[in-house]
Amino acid sequence: MFALVHLVPGDPVRLALGTRFSQESYDALRERSGLDQPLVEQFFGWTGRALTGDLGVSFRSGETVTSLIAERLPATLTLAFASILVALLIAVPLGTVSALRPRSLVDRVATVISQFGISVPDFWMGIVLILVFAGTLGWLPSGGYVPLTEDPGGWLQRLLMPALVTGVVSGSVITRFVRSSVLEALGADHVRTAQAKGLGTRQVFTWHVLRNALLPLVTVTGVQLAYLLSGVVVVEIVFSWPGLGQLALQAVQARDYPVLQGAILLFALVFLVINLVVDLLYSAIDPRIRR
Amino acid sequence: MSIQPTPGPPPGQGRGGDRPPETPEEPPGGAPQREAGPAAPTLRPARPRWRETLSLLAHNPTAAIASVLLLLIVVVAFFDDTLAPQGANEISVADRLQPPSWEHPFGTDDLGRDILSRVILGASVSLRVGFLAVGFALVVGTLIGLLAGYYGRWVDDVLMRFMDMLFAFPAVLLAIAVLAVRGPGSGNTALAIGIVYTPIFARVTRASVLGVREEVYVRASRSVGASDWRILTRHILPNAAPPIIVQTSISLAFAVLAEAALSFLGLGTQPPNPSWGLMLAEGRGFIELAWWLAFFPGMAIFLTVLCFNLLGDGLRDVLDPRQRTQMAGSSRAAATETGGEA
Amino acid sequence: MTAPVLEVEDLRVRLRTPRGPADVVNGLSYTVGAGETVAVVGESGSGKSVSVLALLGLLPARVATVTGRALLQGEDLLTMPPERLRQVRGPGAGMVFQDPMTSLNPVLTIGRQLVEGIRAHGDVSKQAARSRAADLLREVGLPDPERALDRYPHELSGGMRQRVVIAIALSNSPSLLIADEATTALDVTVQAQIIDLVEKLQAEHGTGVIWITHDLGVVAGIADRVLVMYGGRCVEDGTVDDVLEHPAHPYTRGLLGSLPDLAAPAGPDGEVPELTAIPGLPPPPTDLPPGCVFWPRCPVRADPRCETEQPPLAVVGSSGGALPHRAATWCAEEEVPRG
Repeated sequence: MFALVHLVPGDPVRLALGTRFSQESYDALRERSGLDQPLVEQFFGWTGRALTGDLGVSFRSGETVTSLIAERLPATLTLAFASILVALLIAVPLGTVSALRPRSLVDRVATVISQFGISVPDFWMGIVLILVFAGTLGWLPSGGYVPLTEDPGGWLQRLLMPALVTGVVSGSVITRFVRSSVLEALGADHVRTAQAKGLGTRQVFTWHVLRNALLPLVTVTGVQLAYLLSGVVVVEIVFSWPGLGQLALQAVQARDYPVLQGAILLFALVFLVINLVVDLLYSAIDPRIRR
Repeated sequence: MSIQPTPGPPPGQGRGGDRPPETPEEPPGGAPQREAGPAAPTLRPARPRWRETLSLLAHNPTAAIASVLLLLIVVVAFFDDTLAPQGANEISVADRLQPPSWEHPFGTDDLGRDILSRVILGASVSLRVGFLAVGFALVVGTLIGLLAGYYGRWVDDVLMRFMDMLFAFPAVLLAIAVLAVRGPGSGNTALAIGIVYTPIFARVTRASVLGVREEVYVRASRSVGASDWRILTRHILPNAAPPIIVQTSISLAFAVLAEAALSFLGLGTQPPNPSWGLMLAEGRGFIELAWWLAFFPGMAIFLTVLCFNLLGDGLRDVLDPRQRTQMAGSSRAAATETGGEA
Repeated sequence: MTAPVLEVEDLRVRLRTPRGPADVVNGLSYTVGAGETVAVVGESGSGKSVSVLALLGLLPARVATVTGRALLQGEDLLTMPPERLRQVRGPGAGMVFQDPMTSLNPVLTIGRQLVEGIRAHGDVSKQAARSRAADLLREVGLPDPERALDRYPHELSGGMRQRVVIAIALSNSPSLLIADEATTALDVTVQAQIIDLVEKLQAEHGTGVIWITHDLGVVAGIADRVLVMYGGRCVEDGTVDDVLEHPAHPYTRGLLGSLPDLAAPAGPDGEVPELTAIPGLPPPPTDLPPGCVFWPRCPVRADPRCETEQPPLAVVGSSGGALPHRAATWCAEEEVPRG
C-alpha cells in the first residue's frame, strides 16, 4: 500500500486539503503527517510504527487509526463469516445435486441461477431486497447493526439481508466449483473400485466421491472469504453496516489518508492470513501434500 | 510357436481405451480424449481458427444469444446520442418522478430526466470504461506474462512477484486505493480497474507460454535463428490466445460490474454524467417512492455483465483445446474408439 | 471340471451415445470353471472391458442397457436386485482394474480401503478387519504389511498399489476374480510378479479368473482358455493351444501376425510377441457391418457370404481337449489347414 501510494502520481496532502488551501496549511499538514521527510525515512518510520500497532492518527477525528479499526472489525468479520456460511449452504447441495444429474432440469436451473448470481450487481440486489423485505413487506429493518451481545434477535434480523446478498454472489461461484469437482470425482477410477468392493451407494458417495470432491473446496472457500472481505465494502454501504468497508469509504471521501492506509493494510493482512490458514488447513487434510 | 511375455502395449493401443462412459453426453475425463492424435498435432502451433470458432459458437445457443445481445448493447452505446430520446441532463421539473409510461418507458427521476435516455447514454460510459480498463490490463498483463514466461529466471521472478503483490490486494480495495490517490473520475476508474486485472492476464499468459515454450516447433524455430520477437509473436502468442480471449470476455463482465460499483460509491464517474452505477446510487434514496430509478440501471448492469459472462463461458467451451479436439474429431472418434467410449 | 463358477449367455450391451445407440457387446456366451483362467483378448474398443463391467452392474444405468443371462454360481447377476448385487460384489466376484495409479482413493489410507471392503460383507469388528487386512497384504507380498495399512496410495509404487488392489479384490475370498488389463500399466518385471501372484492365489483358493488383456504374451503364460473379441462379438474361442497355435479366424491370425499380407516379417521360429498392427480401425459400434464384423478390414474375404451374412460361431476342430475350438468365420475350413 505504501509503495502504491508513492508509485501512483498524486499528492495525498493536496487531495486531503481540497482545491483551496494556503501554502501554510499545506506545509503544516505535510509536517504533521511526516510527508515532508525523505521517502525512505517515511517508509521505515511508518512500517516500524505499524509493526508496533501504531497506524497513526486520523486527519479528521484525531482518534488513533488502530482504535477506529478495532471498533469496526467485528462487524465486518461477522458479515464475512455469515456470508460464507450462506454461500456454502447454497453451493454444496446445489452443486452436488447438479453434478449427480448432469444436464437434467435441476442441473440446468442450478446453472442459470449461479450464472445470474455471478452477474448480478450485489448493491443492486441489496437495494431490491430492501425494497421488498424492508419496504413493501416490512419484515426486516433496512440496515444498521447491533452487537450480538446486546440484542441477538435484532443482530440476526439485520445480518440476514446483507449476508444473503454477499452469500448469493460467492455461493454462485462456489456452486460451479462444487459441480465440476463432484463430476470429476464421480468419474474417478477409484469410485469403481469402491463399487466393486460391494460398498453401499451411500458409502461410496460419502467417502469416495464427496470427500474427494470437497477437499479442494477448502481452498476455494478461503479465496472467496478473502474476496468477501473486500466485496462487503459496497454491501456495507447499502445496508449501513458499520464495518471496515464503510470506514475506508468514509476515509476516502473525507480524504483521511492515514485511516485509509490503515484500513487497506488491515484488509491486506487479513487476506494474507486467510491464504496462510487455507494452505495450512489444506496440507493438514490432504494426505498427498502432508509430509 | 512360442509366445513370451513382452513389454508394453502394442502401438496404437491407448491406455484405458475400454472405459465405459460416465455420462451419455459429457465425455469422461479419461484417457480416450488424449488419444485423438491426428487432430492435435504437436509440430505446429494450433492457431485459433476464427471461422470455425464462430460457427461452433453459433451452435451454442446461450453464447449466440449473449453475443447478439452484446452486439446490440454496443451498437446502442455507440449511437447513444441519436438513439436517446432526450439529452442526459434535460431537466423538467414538471415531469419529475414519473412512473414508466409511453412517453417515458423507464420513467423519470427526481429532476424529471428521462431514465431510458440516461440508461442509453450510461451504456457508452460504462462500456467505454470497461473496454479501456480491460484494454489496459490486456496489453500490459499479456506483455508481462509473455516476458516472464519466455525469459524465465530473474525476469520471471521480478515481474511475477510484483503481480502477486498486486493480486494479493482485494480487487475493490485496490481500485479504491488507486482512486483515493488519483482522485475520482471515469479515466481514473478505468486505470484503477485496469491495474486490478493486469495480474490475471499476466498469469494466464505466462501459464500458456510455459506450456508451449519447450514444444518442438518453438525449439525448432529457435534453432534456425528466429528472433525472440518473431518466436513470441508468431509461435507463442497464437497458442496463448484462446485462454486470453476467454479471460478478456470474463474480465469485461467484471470491469462493467466494478465500474458500476465504484460509481455507486461515488468514486467513479462523477455527476451529472450518466453512469449506471451512479444512477443506482441516486435512485437509492427514492427506492420506496419510485422503484424505477434504481431498477432499470440495475437491469442494464445485470444484463451486460450476464452477456459477457455467458459469452466467456461459450468461448471457453469452444476454444478450450481439449474440448475442441473432442468436437472436431467426433467423426474420427467413432472409428477410433467404441462409440460410447469416445 | 466341476460346475462352472460363471455362465454367461447371450450377453448384450447397448450404450446410449450422442451419436445414437452403440452395440458394444453383441451376444457373448462363455463359462468360467472353478480354478480356470479364461483370457479375453481384443483391441481397444472390442467391448471386452464393457462386457465384464456389465456383469457386475458397474456401467451407469442411465447409459447402458444390458440383456442376456450371467449366472454366478447359479444366480443371475443381470436380474438380481441392487442390494443382492452389492452383496455379490466382493464375496462373489472381485475385480482388479487397469491403472493402479488411479484405482485407489488417494485420500484414504490403504488400511481403510481394505477394511471398508471387509466390513461391507459381514459383522466384523474394526480390529478383526484390520488384522485380516494385514494378513491379506502379507499374502499379496507387500513388505511390512502392518505399517502399509497406515500409508496412503501415493506412498507406494505402481506394482505395490496393484498388489493392494488385488488384496482388496481377494479380501472376501471371491469365487471369481476379474482382472481388467491388470498388468498393462506395469513394468515387465512387475507384470510377471503380479501374474505369478494371481496364479498362486488361484491355485490356493480355486478361484475362477477372467483375464482381460490385449497382450498375447500374457495369455500364453496364464490362460487355460482364450476368447477373442472383435466388434463386441466372440470371433474365436478354445483352449489356449488351439487358438494360439491354430488360429482359425482371420482376425485372430492378424493379431498373431501369422497372415502373410498383414504380418510384420515373423521371426524364423514364428515367435509372436504381441498384437501386431492390423491396418484400419475396428467398426464403430453405432454402425456395425451386416456380415462378418471383420469384413471391412479382412484381407481374406474368401466367401461371398462374408459381406452380407453374419457367420455363426462354429466348431473348427479340436486338438483332443474336452473343449471345442470354435470360430465365427466363413473362411475357416478352406483357409486353415490343421498343422
